[in-house]
Amino acid sequence: MNCDESRLLLDAYADGELDLVRHIELEAHLKACPTCLRRSEAIAARRIRIRDSLPRFPASQELRGRIHASLRAEARGAARQGPLPFPVAWRRWNLAGLAASVTVALLAGYSWGSHHARSTSLADEAFAGHMRSLQASHLTDVTSTDRHTVKPWFAGKLDFSPPVVDLADLGFPLVGGRLDQIDGHTAAALVFRRRLHAINVFVWPARGAISPPRSATESGFSAQGWTHGGLNFLAVSEIPAAELEQFAGEFRKRTE
Amino acid sequence: MEASVPTETSTFEQLMLPHLDSAYNLSRWLLRDPHDAEDAVQDACLRAFRAFGGFRGADGRAWFLTIVRNVCYSHLRQGKRESLKVAFEEDLHGSPEDSGEANAQSWLEVKGELLRQALERLPPEYREVIVLHDVEGLSYREIAGVAEIPLGTVMSRLARGRGKLQAELASLSQNTSP
Repeated sequence: MNCDESRLLLDAYADGELDLVRHIELEAHLKACPTCLRRSEAIAARRIRIRDSLPRFPASQELRGRIHASLRAEARGAARQGPLPFPVAWRRWNLAGLAASVTVALLAGYSWGSHHARSTSLADEAFAGHMRSLQASHLTDVTSTDRHTVKPWFAGKLDFSPPVVDLADLGFPLVGGRLDQIDGHTAAALVFRRRLHAINVFVWPARGAISPPRSATESGFSAQGWTHGGLNFLAVSEIPAAELEQFAGEFRKRTE
Repeated sequence: MEASVPTETSTFEQLMLPHLDSAYNLSRWLLRDPHDAEDAVQDACLRAFRAFGGFRGADGRAWFLTIVRNVCYSHLRQGKRESLKVAFEEDLHGSPEDSGEANAQSWLEVKGELLRQALERLPPEYREVIVLHDVEGLSYREIAGVAEIPLGTVMSRLARGRGKLQAELASLSQNTSP
């Protein structure tokens, strides 16, 4: 083995990845060639330094939760309607539109409550929309558990100021907010977590004729609505209706 | 609702989620942005879940990382910053350019942060073999499977990548020290 051949193998040698024959040949060469031996030592030191100094980025708890939720939604969705197409261009999805359709469908379902078939299909649509919004990971535009970060983020983006509360002490931590559309208005969507589930609270000015439903439940999907201080509020989630009611009650208590 | 989750979901989570840190780490290094990296891992998880029926149980980590890598490269190709010119570069430079001339001691003084910056400057093909081997501890053979390249290419890319890393590091050190 000559020095040129040796140079090509030194990294693999340091990694212990050479086959036996070349390993033996290279060691023989290193015994005979001080230049290659020095180079080999430098490469071994470099390898250790790289290995010990490069940071390893672990997955966040938030990502784990999101994945857990999206897998469950996927499993349920697959059982309902077969595999959904899922483009790679996550960010290009019109999620605001999807989320708005969820809520509008709920509102419509509520006002036409007597038309049971209609209400059921709308709720199904709403459920599918909610599911996709979880999968597509555009739950938040601003991600923070600090309401003093989330509230100012909306300033300048909306012509009203949504109240932002923290309910972490009750097991509903704030995770962030995003802009959304509802009933023809730009709305604030505040996002909370309950265990691994998301709760969206849509907030928009109470100018329209249509008020949010006080409560609605369909297919394991529930909503709680109210109006206060000239703003409409509608909380939507797949957590049990009783828990969402508790959440809405505490949210109101802290903002009214 | 917990009871309605099919056992397939639990099996998938038991086998794949232990590798979530590896998946995120690879994605984070390839995309160099925490939000893009999370999106890619989540997308990869769903793809893996849908393809799980075809998984034969050989090496869950390698199988999962292959999917993560493919999603990351789609993302890189789709958009932005990164052009995949490494094959061309490999033709131009026939041998490792580093030559390990720097002595062992100077390497031990290198700061971790500088090393991170230097690695982020490398083309993704070099970044990934270094991350997979030196951070994740995959063998050459496992890397060949994940990156879908021959074993010999893993060896040369790793050697060349470390050489490039050393060169980037030298240029960064020059810029930061008086």
